[in-house]
Amino acid sequence: MPFRETAMRDDKKTRIIFGLGSVLAALALTTAIVAATGNNPLQAYGNIIQGAIGSPNVAANVLVSWVPLALATAGLLFTFTGGLWNIGIEGQITLGAIFCTWAMRSLQDTALSPGIIIAFAIAAGMLGGIFWALLAGALKTFGGVNEIFGGLGLNFVATALNLWLIFGPWKRPGVASMSGTLPFEPELWMPTVSAQSRLALIPLALAVLALVIAFILLRGSHFGLRLKAVGKNPKAAYLLGIPTWQHMLLSFALCGAFAGLAGAVQVSAVYHRLIPSISSGYGYTGLMVAMLVNFSPVFAGPVALFFAALSVGSIQLPIVLKLDSSLAGVIQGFLVLFVLIGNGLRLKLLGRKRGSI
Amino acid sequence: MTIELRNISKHFGALKANDSISLAIPPGCIQGILGENGAGKSTLMKIFSGFLRPDSGEIVFDGKPLTIHSPDDAIRLGIGMLHQDPLDFPPFRVIDDFILGSPGGLVPDRRKALADFNSLSARFGFSLSPEARVASLTVGERQQLEILRLLWLGAKVLILDEPTTGISQTQKEKLFATLKALADQGMTVFFVSHKLEDVEALCSRAAVLRQGVLVGSMEKPFDMAALVRMMFGKEVELAAKSSMAPGKKVLTVKTGSVGSIRLRIKDVNLQVRAGEVIGIAGMEGSGQDLFLRACGGLVEPAGGQFCLDESETPMNGKTYHEYMRQGVAYLPAARLEKGLVPGLSLAEHFTLSVKPKGVFIDKKAAAALSEERIAAFNIKGWPDSPVESLSGGNQQRALLSLLPEKAALILVEHPTRGLDIESTIYIWGKLKERCAAGTAILFMSSDLDEILRYSDKVLVFFAGRVTPLIASESLNVQKLGELIGGVGWDAFQGNSNA
Amino acid sequence: MKRLCILILAVLIAALALPAFAQAPKAAGSNLTIGLVMVGPYNDRGWSQANYDGMLYVLDKVPGTKLVYIDKANSADRPGTTVSQLGESLVAQGAKLICFSSDDMMDEAVKFAAAHPDIFVIMTTGDQQWKEGKAYKPMANMINIMGKMEYMKMVAGVAAAMTTKTGQIGFLGPLINDETRRLAASAYLGARYAWVNYLKKDPAQLKFRVTWIGFWFNIPGVTADPTQVADEFFNSGCDVVISGIDTTEAVAEAAKFTAQGKKVWAIPYDYSKAMDEGKGVSLGVPYFNWGPAYAKTVKEAMNGTWKAHFEWNDPDWKNINNPDTSAVGFIKGNLSKEASEGVDKFIGELAKGLNLWAGPMNLQDGTVYLKSGQKATDQQIWYLPQLLQGMTGQSVSK
Repeated sequence: MPFRETAMRDDKKTRIIFGLGSVLAALALTTAIVAATGNNPLQAYGNIIQGAIGSPNVAANVLVSWVPLALATAGLLFTFTGGLWNIGIEGQITLGAIFCTWAMRSLQDTALSPGIIIAFAIAAGMLGGIFWALLAGALKTFGGVNEIFGGLGLNFVATALNLWLIFGPWKRPGVASMSGTLPFEPELWMPTVSAQSRLALIPLALAVLALVIAFILLRGSHFGLRLKAVGKNPKAAYLLGIPTWQHMLLSFALCGAFAGLAGAVQVSAVYHRLIPSISSGYGYTGLMVAMLVNFSPVFAGPVALFFAALSVGSIQLPIVLKLDSSLAGVIQGFLVLFVLIGNGLRLKLLGRKRGSI
Repeated sequence: MTIELRNISKHFGALKANDSISLAIPPGCIQGILGENGAGKSTLMKIFSGFLRPDSGEIVFDGKPLTIHSPDDAIRLGIGMLHQDPLDFPPFRVIDDFILGSPGGLVPDRRKALADFNSLSARFGFSLSPEARVASLTVGERQQLEILRLLWLGAKVLILDEPTTGISQTQKEKLFATLKALADQGMTVFFVSHKLEDVEALCSRAAVLRQGVLVGSMEKPFDMAALVRMMFGKEVELAAKSSMAPGKKVLTVKTGSVGSIRLRIKDVNLQVRAGEVIGIAGMEGSGQDLFLRACGGLVEPAGGQFCLDESETPMNGKTYHEYMRQGVAYLPAARLEKGLVPGLSLAEHFTLSVKPKGVFIDKKAAAALSEERIAAFNIKGWPDSPVESLSGGNQQRALLSLLPEKAALILVEHPTRGLDIESTIYIWGKLKERCAAGTAILFMSSDLDEILRYSDKVLVFFAGRVTPLIASESLNVQKLGELIGGVGWDAFQGNSNA
Repeated sequence: MKRLCILILAVLIAALALPAFAQAPKAAGSNLTIGLVMVGPYNDRGWSQANYDGMLYVLDKVPGTKLVYIDKANSADRPGTTVSQLGESLVAQGAKLICFSSDDMMDEAVKFAAAHPDIFVIMTTGDQQWKEGKAYKPMANMINIMGKMEYMKMVAGVAAAMTTKTGQIGFLGPLINDETRRLAASAYLGARYAWVNYLKKDPAQLKFRVTWIGFWFNIPGVTADPTQVADEFFNSGCDVVISGIDTTEAVAEAAKFTAQGKKVWAIPYDYSKAMDEGKGVSLGVPYFNWGPAYAKTVKEAMNGTWKAHFEWNDPDWKNINNPDTSAVGFIKGNLSKEASEGVDKFIGELAKGLNLWAGPMNLQDGTVYLKSGQKATDQQIWYLPQLLQGMTGQSVSK
């Protein structure tokens, strides 16, 4: 007994040490790169921080950007738990945006009140995401197409569909523009906390809710445990009597619902129209966040917030330092990379004792 | 060549895997290394073959101490190790695998290697085709290939780690004959096993390890009871055969057919009744695994009728989950690959195994369930132990503990493969308890003793053919061994058991 | 929650409606930080750089000004951001006047101007403050600026027509909207005028083909690749390609084909130095000179004379390339003597009042747009609904 307890404490300690080490390594490398470009790294970080929390307005922008990222991450927690790499989440966000736009377009001239139209549009967006996710899921379970390849393909199709709609059936009268479809009337914009702010409370609440749902379902429900079993060993899960592909499809559907919601939020609360790159890469960033937190619902929210802050804060870089704002992406990528490497090393060091991982 | 291991010690953290082990082996000897799983056998042999370095102690050949830093050093010194899973390259051709790792420079002399391969192969009566793919070989043939390779590299000492796991009786006999021939030529063979009967049949000496300590050694003839005592530190007894009167039908197969064009098993007729134990014997790849899976809906039967209970409605085309609802349970041989979920704890497994009540997991009930199951199945582990941290025997116990409480038919692949005697006895004890409660068991095994010891009836598969059910009393290892090798089939006019 | 929503909504609507009646922002005084939002890279040798250089001109001519800028302000390069958000980050750096310099930013500029009534907004190319315009949306803090590029596109058309040997001219178009349609049509009008009046050829023999790539510059995977479109023009018989996009692929491709021994030319766009990439193959460049108009507007913001309006500035006909007075210009490139004379002659005629936007003029589908003798109004030019009869290519996006 005492032996076992020491082993566990050791484990936690090494976890923290390795985690910190990875973060430091990522920062060190980013710092080196910034320094190599002849810029002052501290100034760069200072600008990012200033640009992320320097004023209530930019902090609100961070939250605006956190909402779709948190939603995507919450969704991905389900698919990752189910052992699935839902690369197709980008397309699911796009389809959510498309369905949402479609609902708004169909309902905007009716007598329905704006609140109801928005509610319908959000629901439609979620349906769109679910639909696209289930396509990837069906390709996987019934077509034997790996979800990564299926997802990638569906992402391309979603982008193409989106562009076709923007440049085709949903184009502005006489004009086809990359700027997207004609903006909706302001009544149909998701209400924001103030006229100056971009932050809408309803999407914020929905994103928090999504994370809470993910936490509750994955941590404490039979569904979560079963999904975990399917994710870690589908064959054994099947022999244990768990309907394997049904769980996989369900996790796809849940992820698609959250992704679709993210897309609907982008349309109804951020851009107020459909634009070509409506998914804004939130799906891919969500994948990074989910990997970084090792698929834990507890840390998903804070880390997503950190990533959102990096992205929003880094807008200052080109303005002030003439540095490319993709530095934020570099930091994010390095973080994920080093944390994954750190995890691998830690498991390798500990794994020798355990025998397997 | 006399080999001496002097005071070998090796620690892994707090665990003493080898504690000052000393052993001297005269030349031309087959030395058995006995012990239950985790006794330290593999560690000792890995030190000997250069895969691990001891914390202290030395290895002495003919009075000369050796330094072995790597497997390369070991093979240069003439020590070759045959691992439990042969270290070969499945996509390679046999001859390429043979040449691989030879010290012959960049461009191996393929012609000479081929000649050597053929002559070595002929010497031991192996029939390996040098151009076959390694992937197409059976486990036994892969062992043969590995032995040839090690001999060709100049091995004078051969270490075999659990070599009889996963090979058929005939392959085992051939392996033993080969090893005896090598010993006669003056080679030293280390035979690591937890199977007493194998050691008895093959070895001239046996050393027993328990918890990292050498607890005793013995020369032929062995006192088996004494060996068992040394291994476990206590007496253990093998369970007796059940004496249940068979009850109602639980599984009926009529002209059942499984398999593909390459291997098609046809016209299997079988009836399994409540409380019966039926063993399926056959060489690896004779189709018995397919058949067993078909009985649980895990593969689609190619034809015939598979009926459960007294029902006349065939279950063909139904999924395993539908079989489960009818009381069928399946225990796979690959515990961590197919039976358990690595990464999940025992408690989580127990929660998964029962029907969920409500949406959320009742943590208290789950904990109580785990305590109860762990106690009932004598599993060495905690509710929060990840299953992969358990030993093989405990994993198998865990697997058994996950079976639904009311099962009409349990299908088992290799119930005790790789397990020590104590676990074997325990597992079968639990299975027999089930039988006594009216559960039928259909199992396949490559261990003929296991089949004969525990089955009421036996089904033998050979090259797509299947015997009718044979009462196990009418069989012995010899006869069963012949049947799985295709000898003595004239007595059966196909499978006509009703 | 519901009441809160309604309240928020009410505040929002009020806030949006308010600026419409509000006054222009307070005069900025002797110091003004200008924020410039560009759609492409600031050094794209095209549209964005022309705007950037315009602001550099302002810094040079108007004391007390400072510039902060953000480039690549499009959703492909800066995913997840909105243009109004980028505008705000310039405000955070002290900018009191924000210039949104691309047609693509229209919606966001309107959003931004509504949300920040205290900030001066220049919406370049826009028509929101044009009382006679279709998109009129009065906002006290917004000014629209555009140059009459139509003239210089006509000159480009003349240069192309005077040069082509095959009688086939390609127009590498960006996306389809009012602006791009009227510019493509202008180029055609110039080409046809030279073809008929200077070269005395049958207008039916002049082939003028328009291909749209879908955006102002190449976005891989999203737009058609302008390099390929240019190649396709040159491979299919066009020997002059007039570029309507923000970047210089047409020139680069013409240089490539010339190096392979083909006699082809290109006419870049937007930026006065856009010919540098392929001097030998460029016939000239029609360009914007934003500096004077920007400087004037910036001064208005500083001294309190700012008044929301729309301006569509003429070239200085005395010298279309005067950096202080002409809103648009044309720099001649590698023209033959005859073509060069044609171009000069044409510019002279324009200066004297030649109007090609006059009837008879038919739209691409044959409907009469201007009757004989009728002159187009500014609105008819700005909002040209189709390409013109005689041009090949898409008129409206399908």
